[in-house]
Amino acid sequence: MAETILAVDDDIDILELIQMSLTAEGFDVITANDGMSALEKATAYSPDLILLDLMMPVMDGFEVIGKLRAETQTRTIPVIMLTARAQTHERVQGLHAGADDYVTKPFDLDELTARIEAVLGRTRSTKYINPLISTMGDWFTEEGVEQLASHLETAAVIQQNLIPQKAPDLSGFDIAGFLRSSMTVSGDFYDFIPLEDNRLGIAIADVRGKGIPAALLMVMIRTILRLICREETSPAAVLKRINDLLAIDTDPDLFATMVYGILDSAAMTFTYSSAGHCYPLHLKNGGAQVDELKMGGMILGTFDHAVFESETIPLAPGDELLLYTDGVTEAERKSDETFYGEERLSAILQSNSDQPAETLCQTIETALFDFSGTDHRDDDVTIVVIKVKDGKE
Amino acid sequence: MFETSISHNNVPVLRIEGKIIGGAANALKREMHQQIEQEQGRGGLVLDLAKVPLLDSSALGVIIATLQFLKKMDGKLVLLNPQHAVINILQVTRLDTVLEVYSDEESATSALGS
Repeated sequence: MAETILAVDDDIDILELIQMSLTAEGFDVITANDGMSALEKATAYSPDLILLDLMMPVMDGFEVIGKLRAETQTRTIPVIMLTARAQTHERVQGLHAGADDYVTKPFDLDELTARIEAVLGRTRSTKYINPLISTMGDWFTEEGVEQLASHLETAAVIQQNLIPQKAPDLSGFDIAGFLRSSMTVSGDFYDFIPLEDNRLGIAIADVRGKGIPAALLMVMIRTILRLICREETSPAAVLKRINDLLAIDTDPDLFATMVYGILDSAAMTFTYSSAGHCYPLHLKNGGAQVDELKMGGMILGTFDHAVFESETIPLAPGDELLLYTDGVTEAERKSDETFYGEERLSAILQSNSDQPAETLCQTIETALFDFSGTDHRDDDVTIVVIKVKDGKE
Repeated sequence: MFETSISHNNVPVLRIEGKIIGGAANALKREMHQQIEQEQGRGGLVLDLAKVPLLDSSALGVIIATLQFLKKMDGKLVLLNPQHAVINILQVTRLDTVLEVYSDEESATSALGS
């Protein structure tokens, strides 16, 4: 994804020049021609970097830097000052105020680009670590998390490590999960959490976006989930808590969809809530019928007023639940631009209902391969199968 | 894939044609931001989705980010004529509760017009 740069200058000609040249370099450029609108746009767009002219009427660059540094949301956005060549004193003052670097006017475009790249290179990793730190409070220091991220080398490793290493053991049920990362890392995950009274928490989530930011949001969600799931009684309350914690800090276009459910082996029920996730499938009546569990819900991490609902369905021996991410239904056959879709998925669930949960996951993955004709995936594929044993097994 | 016109009550209407998936989301973001920069875009935009068969999560992200931005300026993002698959996505994610959706242009633009 292209990085966004906010360019601030009261000289429209300079702004246009900057916008044109940086757009050509592949950046998304937004502009502001005074201090006030610079602050508004910094808050609204959370740019990756701000180019800031120091000499502006009404609110000058120093004041803008001060205000940026005082707000949680803009505190960590790197700032490169644009200064006149002679003003050494101002450069020093600007660096003290919290600017990361400066470029003197009139500037050379290659130098400007090089400085932007250098500053972005330094701040890229911390951009996504900061919200993580504020959510987890004193648990992690910035250094600690940064070290962790660099040690783990890639987001794929983080993702693989988060997935349960073995299927949960719940009497009367056969449960399996499957995750296949796409070539470019994205943020699917699933989790099984043993709860009191022979109950099991089951989560499946899809974090929008790719790479480290998606992986870190995934880590945040999983961490919050594991911390709070025993404190809340309903899945809707669990999603609400996760949402409220995330909505404070994350970029508006960084979000996740998720289903969280509680499987109760004594009551033989599944109580679940959804945050904008694709509908789970419920195979019932001895395989004769597949229902979509049509539960909507706000996506996680964007709206602070989001509300979620819980619903409980009864389970009978022989029933199966299939939770999945849209990497399954949106697997594409390029030759005719057809998607795999819910209908094919429920058909395969029906015709393979006698398979053990783990085998069924593989069967679906193989079917996706056969359908798309390639093992390349544009998106992660995640499948969780829950089978209610029917006594014959 | 975008064509923007200004309605008789001075509201920008962005007509989009084709799937908004992958990189197209960034192009949409740029187009929306460009309109918001203009005087007439301050109060909000209408996105005409009649010819959009599908949008993915990147597109959804861009729409949400723009919606949040406009809300801070007391503006709105209004959708016009979303098609079946898109309506489905809006319902699953409950975005239909935070975005106004209309099926005719007159109502859509007057929801924004001052």
